[in-house]
Amino acid sequence: MLIATVRDYLEAVKSGEIKAEDFLPEAIQKAERIQKAYSPFITIDKKARPSASKGPLYGLPVSIKDSICTNGMQTTAGSKILEGYIPPFDATCVTRIKDSGAAIIGKTAMDEFGFGTFSTNCAYGAPKNPLDIERSCGGSSGGAGCITAAADFPHIAIAQSTGGSITAPAAFTGTVGLTPTYGRVSRYGLIDYSNSMDKIGVISKCVYDSALMLSVISGHDPLDSTSSEVKSEDFTKHLNSDVKGMKIALPKEYFSSGIDPKIAKLVRDKAERLQQLGAKVEDVSLPLTKYAMPAYYMIALSEASTNLAKFCGLRYGLQKEIQGNFDEYFSKIRTEGFGEEAKRRIIFGTYARMAGYRDAYYLKAFKVRARIIDEFKKTFAKYDALITPSMPILPPKFSDISKLSPIQIYNMDIMTTAPNMAGMPTLSVPIGKIDGLPVGMQIISNHFMEGKTIAIGAKIEELK
Amino acid sequence: MSVMIGVEVHTQLNTESKIFCSDSTDARDKKPNENTCPICLGFPGSKPKLNKRALEFGMLIGLALNCKITGTMFFSRKAYFYPDLSKNYQITQYEAPVATEGHLAIGDEKIRIRRVHIEEDPAKLMYVDGDINTAKYVIMDYNRAGTPLAEIVTEPDFTSPKQVRAFLEKMSSILEHLGVYDSSKEASLRVDANISVDGGERVEIKNITGFENVEKALSFELVRQNGLRRVNATVKRETRHFNAELKTTSALRTKEFEEDYGYIFDPDLPTIVVGKDWVEELQANMPELPDQRVARFIKQYKLNDYTSTVLVYTDKCLADFFEESCKLYKKPEVVSNWLMNYILKSLNWRSERIRDSKVKPDTFIEMLKLIEDGKITERYAKELVKEYVDTGTSPKKLAEKNIVKMSEADVEKIVVQTLKQNSNVAEEYKAGRKESLQFLIGKVLAATNKQADPNIIRKLLLKELESK
Repeated sequence: MLIATVRDYLEAVKSGEIKAEDFLPEAIQKAERIQKAYSPFITIDKKARPSASKGPLYGLPVSIKDSICTNGMQTTAGSKILEGYIPPFDATCVTRIKDSGAAIIGKTAMDEFGFGTFSTNCAYGAPKNPLDIERSCGGSSGGAGCITAAADFPHIAIAQSTGGSITAPAAFTGTVGLTPTYGRVSRYGLIDYSNSMDKIGVISKCVYDSALMLSVISGHDPLDSTSSEVKSEDFTKHLNSDVKGMKIALPKEYFSSGIDPKIAKLVRDKAERLQQLGAKVEDVSLPLTKYAMPAYYMIALSEASTNLAKFCGLRYGLQKEIQGNFDEYFSKIRTEGFGEEAKRRIIFGTYARMAGYRDAYYLKAFKVRARIIDEFKKTFAKYDALITPSMPILPPKFSDISKLSPIQIYNMDIMTTAPNMAGMPTLSVPIGKIDGLPVGMQIISNHFMEGKTIAIGAKIEELK
Repeated sequence: MSVMIGVEVHTQLNTESKIFCSDSTDARDKKPNENTCPICLGFPGSKPKLNKRALEFGMLIGLALNCKITGTMFFSRKAYFYPDLSKNYQITQYEAPVATEGHLAIGDEKIRIRRVHIEEDPAKLMYVDGDINTAKYVIMDYNRAGTPLAEIVTEPDFTSPKQVRAFLEKMSSILEHLGVYDSSKEASLRVDANISVDGGERVEIKNITGFENVEKALSFELVRQNGLRRVNATVKRETRHFNAELKTTSALRTKEFEEDYGYIFDPDLPTIVVGKDWVEELQANMPELPDQRVARFIKQYKLNDYTSTVLVYTDKCLADFFEESCKLYKKPEVVSNWLMNYILKSLNWRSERIRDSKVKPDTFIEMLKLIEDGKITERYAKELVKEYVDTGTSPKKLAEKNIVKMSEADVEKIVVQTLKQNSNVAEEYKAGRKESLQFLIGKVLAATNKQADPNIIRKLLLKELESK
């Protein structure tokens, strides 16, 4: 029996047409074949079974980004320094997924600790783009994008974004990526990159799947003091909301130089279609956008450099024979355990918060963030959503990525850093192909207005 | 030469659970690392969650020290690599401490309080077969990791080591009266002291426990620094360690610059806004503080200022003991006299605190009643104190064989007999040598096997001597 979608599968399981216990081994075999071809996983659980006796996602295969802790299942955050680490607890979102009856089939590849845009900084190998294996799936949630694009069975991926790590892989693999409002989904159990910006979200084949999964994982969690008190809701109800009368803006800074003009044109074309459907589309200017990228890296790396201090080979993860004093021992562990990009970001972040530089870099970046949030808030007082390209380029070839400097790579995040650092929800939806390669459109909305991005995203999906 | 001293007092706060997780803070009967969880062990993915009680304890300390409570506060990460820190950073308060700008009066002097902040205690390191310099390895116990700490920082307002000690004693009593501090726990008050003399750099003495040690460490430093200055040698800016056995300090490391901890806001802990209502509520429920208690003792028990101060500031449990005893025996001046002059002395001699001792109000007042009823002599009671403090046995039981059994008539017979045997002494007395009376009392007492009350003996002796 061929089941095409998550929705069909869950209905078939519910009606008894299909038994999840029969279906799952088949799905895992498929996942293993995909693993051989594209390497989306760091760990696959061959014995995955529904985690609860019933629930809205009963029997659904779900993959989890490897920076999210799974009790009893290896969790490495893509780093060698956590090789073999088996967490003693589940992240809150994993608990909620298990309670919904879903089956966790494995942990997906990622840039080490989320440090990257192309998943090329993964200690366990970069996932390959199923549409062209010479190209990147994007990052840092590259494995999540990869398995979602390649899966020929119903599946939803849990991903995570700090500065664009859901949008980038969604755009490059032609999938849907939902980055919720900061605080919407508990971060408890997420291995931190930049705690003030980390957001757990979803990558899926269609908008419905993302909305469905967000309904399961969102809502307040007392274990995460930054998780919002805003109640969870059934986000699928927004799928049929009309875009007629919605006010949508195209920020000109997101369509200027540095962006592939073909991508910019495709996004504008889709916006025009929305206008035809009754939305009011206008151009706006967000002049602070250019400050987002440097400020984002200041904050993210300052926080990351303290988050990564705990990895010193004493209590978990990579360990060696103890020789020398504490300083010598942890230096050895960290030298061997961290990849090049992790080391670069630790040095960068440590520098930005040092006495003498702290005011000029770390503290100033916070002021910039406050101004950027303010700019978004003012814009959303007039508009329901903003529409931008998801990524400024088409999925690049690995051979081209290796020629890029770190700054050139950081510049790939220009579409995503501002909304991410402001904690605004975004939805990346595929809008077609250029030269056979997928293009994504990013819909940005105000805090806790995921529903609006879902409504617009669903309409874009219908236009296909 | 003048001296400037400032102190940082670190105290564990007496909350039931740790500051950022729900593990118990009480590890007294626990195996090493038993009171731990992914949060206080800093496991990947775990997040801290503030124990509101710890914050309130910090606020109470601030209020008791006449500080301003910070309206908007947050926590920071103090980053440095050390094995006792599970995350290699400590969650503390940096820019926005709980309270600032307070003061505490020590006699007529006002010591300014710069700030009060709360933070997490690191784990305990134990050096195996040696000390920090000689041990081959250390073992770590994270039971302590995450216990809430308050750090109280003064301005450099102290002018003598003795004044510092008085401050610490008062501080300790305040913390105990607030109920935020359990002074019976191991090393629950730790002091870092800064001291500088004219023309010298500031020297920090780290991690001193015990108020007497603080005074000794500072006195040693004062002599050392003054000695250096007298011969025009430089006093280097450095951190020193106090050796409690040798009562000396020695250099730990030279400080050429402030350590750079690269503080950032802790992004896992949201900003806390402390409204006026919250502060007012704490203020309204503030327990009685030592100064207020001293004033009450003077008024309620008609004690003098000195006695009240000793009772309250020696130790909160001494004041509590006094009040308990007064409920059972309503003569406060007698209670305080016996408590301070005999019981306390005996306890001090044993270096024991009244709460940890076997002395209890109900048995203590038994002794006072025995004296009042004339069943034992005061003199005998003074002898009894030592055994009572040692064993805690009821004074009634202890005194059984010494209860005054002899009737006045029997004593009178012995008095007459003694006077006969010592007629020459009696004559001397009559001739005006009044000291002889004391000798005669002693003789009678010995003859009664100490079974008689010396006051009665004196009375009877005088009666006999005057009548003839």
